[in-house]
Amino acid sequence: MEQFAPVKRSKDGQPVRYLIVDDSVFARKNLARMIETFGGQVAAEAGDGLTAISEFDRTHPDIVLMDITMPQMEGIEAAERIVQQHPEARIVMVSSVGYQENIVAALQRGARHFVQKPVKPEVLYEVIKYVLGEDGAVSNAAGAGA
Amino acid sequence: MSNSPDERGVELRELFYETSQELVQALNEEALKLEKNPADEEIVRSIRRTVHTLKGDSAACGLRELSELAHQFEDALSLESAASHAAVAEIAFATADIFSEMIAAYRNGTKLPATKALSKKIQELTSAPKNGKTRGKKTAGKTSKSKESTGKASVSKLASKADAQWTEYERLAMSKAQASGQDVLHVVTKIDAHCAMPIAGRQLVHNAIGTMGPVIAVRPDAKSPAAAKFIEFVVATVQTPEQIAAKCKIPTIVEEVSVEVLLHANAAPQPVEPEASSEAGAHDADAATEMTLPEPSTAAMLPAGSIPVPQENLLRVEAGRIDNVLNLVGELIIGKSMLQQALNEFTKRFPKEALRGKFADAMAFQARVLNDLQRSVMKIRMVPVDQLFRRFPRMVRDVARQCGREVELAVSGQDTDLDKGILDAIAEPLTHLVRNAISHGIESPEERRKLGKPSQGIVRLNAYHQGNQVIVEVTDDGRGIDVAKIRTKAFELGLTTPEEASKMSELEALNFIFRPGFSTAEQVTEVSGRGVGMDVVQSVLHRLKASISVDTRLGQGTTFRLKLPLTLAIIKALLFWVEQRLYAIPLNAVLEIARTFEGEVHQVDNYEVLQLRNQVLPLLRLGRPAPEGDRKTKLFVLIITVSEKKYGLIVDALEGEEELVIKALDEQTFSTDLVSGASILGDGRVVLILNLPAVVEHVARLRPQEMGQANSGLLLTHTDRMRLALTPEVGGQV
Repeated sequence: MEQFAPVKRSKDGQPVRYLIVDDSVFARKNLARMIETFGGQVAAEAGDGLTAISEFDRTHPDIVLMDITMPQMEGIEAAERIVQQHPEARIVMVSSVGYQENIVAALQRGARHFVQKPVKPEVLYEVIKYVLGEDGAVSNAAGAGA
Repeated sequence: MSNSPDERGVELRELFYETSQELVQALNEEALKLEKNPADEEIVRSIRRTVHTLKGDSAACGLRELSELAHQFEDALSLESAASHAAVAEIAFATADIFSEMIAAYRNGTKLPATKALSKKIQELTSAPKNGKTRGKKTAGKTSKSKESTGKASVSKLASKADAQWTEYERLAMSKAQASGQDVLHVVTKIDAHCAMPIAGRQLVHNAIGTMGPVIAVRPDAKSPAAAKFIEFVVATVQTPEQIAAKCKIPTIVEEVSVEVLLHANAAPQPVEPEASSEAGAHDADAATEMTLPEPSTAAMLPAGSIPVPQENLLRVEAGRIDNVLNLVGELIIGKSMLQQALNEFTKRFPKEALRGKFADAMAFQARVLNDLQRSVMKIRMVPVDQLFRRFPRMVRDVARQCGREVELAVSGQDTDLDKGILDAIAEPLTHLVRNAISHGIESPEERRKLGKPSQGIVRLNAYHQGNQVIVEVTDDGRGIDVAKIRTKAFELGLTTPEEASKMSELEALNFIFRPGFSTAEQVTEVSGRGVGMDVVQSVLHRLKASISVDTRLGQGTTFRLKLPLTLAIIKALLFWVEQRLYAIPLNAVLEIARTFEGEVHQVDNYEVLQLRNQVLPLLRLGRPAPEGDRKTKLFVLIITVSEKKYGLIVDALEGEEELVIKALDEQTFSTDLVSGASILGDGRVVLILNLPAVVEHVARLRPQEMGQANSGLLLTHTDRMRLALTPEVGGQV
């Protein structure tokens, strides 16, 4: 696995904290590994939408990686509820190509970005840098992160 | 914000009902203009804008039928060619009618009117002019071709080519944004060829741009295959193009971005109307490519400020709330006169008391503030007469067509303010007068030419202030009213005798047209119809304490003049006593107050008259008749004017002048129209306000043989008369 320049939080230089939401343990572990290569830290994991909401409230992560199809509560609804409570939440939808409409719906409800399954580390890395904007230590351009 | 979605929906609908009236009105006005200048493309565009707004608004309220019809009409208008502008005007009129019927139906929850016939007409409009259609097709082909060719070209080239693609609505939003101090930027993004989910990507870019400012337009449509390659946005923002470009460079999705300034912000920023952006967003969905404007002449952006941005600094307040405030002010005025009375008594009782001055100062101050308060509240109720006059162009057109007349409507003084209640009440009478002026006043074009008049007649509406009144005039330059014929007619109907008729002044004779049923018969061809409903007109005006007068010249035209009070609620009145009862009349009707003796009162044709200086005044005796042979009793005579005529009103004693807050009387309590209202004085006494036109009419309508007695004792009840008959020497002056 290739190495990436670590992305830290620009305010305190601490690792970026992630909440990983997916009903597949494999997928969660896979994402967690990638995150560690970015210098990030897994704050919490959740296997369904409801847990995702309570875990978000407990840990206040910098970024949420959210699967769409999950038991109990789908990712779109979970994303919507989290954004309603915490408009500053950065949620990145993670999904397969077939769910394009769902992603559009999630983006309309406040999700910040999306990545396509299977997740490629270099893509996720760019997405995370973009989503963090000025709040990430490897910031790109001026005016981002509004 | 605390409102539930349901409440907000209702509120939204109410707002729609109100604003849509204005839009329908605007549609009517634009159609009228188009009919006059069929070649003016700008009018067609403004019709389309109006219809578009109606469409958007009604769709937002969930009024599907209306929005569909509007949509259909709007579509037809965007394809339409100059050849059929007259047809457009015709259909715009029909559409305006249907729209207002539909709105009324929605509002009252009744059945919607049938729209099939109209929608067929609209369809015909689109298919009729051949050149229009081919032109539309050709340009549509061109735009799609240009899109394909640019698909391969670089983004910057595409950006410079794309300027003609915005709809009218989007242009409007752009110039609004510009006026509010934002740059309008054209952003073209090229979607990464490897991006597997271009639609989601599109949404992401849309979101990103949305954070920079309101997105006005998005092209192409999400469903079009081209959407996978390029997306164009028009965004209003205060950010620099560089900032936008950076924001749009989304890794793995956007390959290339070009940003171009379409419009630079205007120097003086104005508050933005928030709906501009949200409506633009809603518009994205139907902003299909065929909506693009074919005319290359309009491809260039509208110049800055060419579309005025109305400053919505208005409050819409339910009239009832203002009435409530006005009522309270009325109570305050009563309170003030109570205080004043108490102070007067105090002054009488303790003439040396030093506190008196302090009280008087406070009273004077309070009176002044109260006066201002009353005036301000009344001003809230005032609306420009234009609100009423605006309805007429359309009506004049329709009536003129029905009657085969050529009529031009000239309107002046539309800025004159009038109480909203009065304005609403005179709408009907005024409509009636205008209709009459066209159908009976203005001659047919042939007849006019024969008479040496221009074939187009003129109907004038004018409004102006005169003292404490507002005058509204309806003038036509038609044939005028033949007074001689009215005299004959009045005699035929038994309203007068030939001798009387011959003695009658023109004005008196003209007043016959206000009699109920005066001209129902058809013999008086020149004026037939003139009287139909004129009695209704007059009774409405009487209720308003307004008056109407006629001024006519045979062959030259007629003017009806409505004299309206500024407000209905508060009047300055003169209070007087008759038979130990207190009455009031509006002060502005009183010309002067004279004193005289019974001996000065003469009888002429059963009328009591008084010679005042070198004028002979008919007298109205409200109280009991003068005792036989009494020549010494002193009389007060109020000289009043009613419908431009002078009368003397015999009263027993004067009380003084006062501001009265009028309380309406319901018809169960008062069966007479001689009294138009009542008021409460500071000391709790009730005073009745006389309806002068009705009083005068009451006397005039009496048959000659009754005149002698019935002229007197107008305001006496049956029991009063009995009492007086039994004891003629009782009662009298106070």
